[in-house]
Amino acid sequence: MNANLRRNWLLQGIASVGECGLFFVAVLGALPKSLCHWRESCRQVWFVGAMSLVIVMTCGLFVGMVLALQLYYTLSIFGGTAALGTVVALSLFRELGPVVTALLVAGRAGTAVTAEIGLMRATDQLDAMSMMAVDPLAYVAAPRFLAGVIAMPLLACVFNAMGIFGGHLVGVTWLGLDNGTFWGNMTSTVDLHRDILDGLYKSIVFGGVVSLIAVFQGYTAPPTSEGVAYSTTRTVVFSSIVILAFDFVMTAFMT
Amino acid sequence: MNAADHVKTADALVQVRGLRTRIGAKMIFDGLDLEVPRGGITAIMGPSGTGKTTLLRHITGQLRPDAGSVVVDGEEVTKLSRRGLFDLRERIGYLFQNSALLTDFSVFENVAFPLRRHARLPEELLRNIVLTKLQAVGLRGAAQLMPSELSGGMARRVALARAIVFDPMLILYDEPFVGLDPIALNQVLRLIRTLNSTLGITSILVAHELAAIRQVADRVYLIANGKLVAQGAPDELAHQDSPWTRQFFGGEADGPVPFQYPAPDYATELGFAEGTR
Repeated sequence: MNANLRRNWLLQGIASVGECGLFFVAVLGALPKSLCHWRESCRQVWFVGAMSLVIVMTCGLFVGMVLALQLYYTLSIFGGTAALGTVVALSLFRELGPVVTALLVAGRAGTAVTAEIGLMRATDQLDAMSMMAVDPLAYVAAPRFLAGVIAMPLLACVFNAMGIFGGHLVGVTWLGLDNGTFWGNMTSTVDLHRDILDGLYKSIVFGGVVSLIAVFQGYTAPPTSEGVAYSTTRTVVFSSIVILAFDFVMTAFMT
Repeated sequence: MNAADHVKTADALVQVRGLRTRIGAKMIFDGLDLEVPRGGITAIMGPSGTGKTTLLRHITGQLRPDAGSVVVDGEEVTKLSRRGLFDLRERIGYLFQNSALLTDFSVFENVAFPLRRHARLPEELLRNIVLTKLQAVGLRGAAQLMPSELSGGMARRVALARAIVFDPMLILYDEPFVGLDPIALNQVLRLIRTLNSTLGITSILVAHELAAIRQVADRVYLIANGKLVAQGAPDELAHQDSPWTRQFFGGEADGPVPFQYPAPDYATELGFAEGTR
């Protein structure tokens, strides 16, 4: 009985991954049509991007500050505090920027997208659209997916900038590191392709994954209050797992 | 007239033949045949859970049946492509049970939504069309309100304005009277009648309210157990002597539709039957 239950659970998991894959193909197919609804796409970029700015900027600032503080302490043991700017920037560009931004966006915008689409399903709004001969995949799903792909790398850049600003604040303004050393070492070590662009590619992929999961969970949410609640939770759980797993895989391939 | 011997009319707008649908383990339709002629208001009645809404979803192609054919305006819905379905749906208005207004948009934008998506109209003309439709349902003054600010009756009228914005040939009403106070109910009733006669559309109405249906419907189909069990003019049906119509129009608690949900023998389940002690 127990083994049967586990097997069912496993099969259902695999089946829903497959379903999500098919949904991804359907959303990609609806993308060209969704360009006719470009206003909706812009609105979604604004919603996912601009509305997440406050949380992303605040978190970026604090992550940069705590990073500088911890690293200053560690580096001072080896007498290498001159490398503080470099290490802060590299950690942010390569790892923390894309990953933390993706986790924040999954919590801030992903849940909102899931709940919104789930409620649209529950109140027949999606059916009403398809009855008005408007494809909900092109009008609802695709613009939100696109918005995630566009907004995520931009948000990651803002996060990185705020993080470096925070690092500078702690390292130079507070702990008295030389300003020239901080910037000089950073700019001479950080590479555009290997560090900055690789991080950006990551966040584009994370943007796609997070918004795909959010849209899929909303689209397939059971039309009950309980169903929407579960789907919203699942968005955060699945997004977090997939972001960190993809991060490892992508890092392994990129370096 | 008997359910089995209805004749095929040449100008039927909707023809359903041998419809079979199973949802999960439940048989919804088991060889349903019916025809809706052009013009007039057809009411579809039946006990809850007999698949009246499912029938509407078959007519619009939102749901495909397991077997049988559904022909709307000469087109076989079950075989239409996605594109074909969307073309057909532009000619069909659908009023959802819970109105299904888009909550992000104002009343005006809700009614304008199909126009903006399908017709490139100058803003002035679009505004005039939308205001005409809103005037028809008596809500021109509410154009700038949001759906959350509307009462149930008003939301239904806005949804109706949206459903007729393309001047459809067919309107499907899914339980349009549910949850309305007597005033709102009469307003919706009057609208259904005037829209049908002034625009010359065909209306299919799924509802339970006998008094309302007697006022507005030209003919009634009674569906039960996945089949058509009676049809005719509302008054004719009310006096027809079949167990189905007697129970349904008389509102009897027990009859062909049993009061008890199917269950094992009562005495056995309580442990009083012989041999269980």
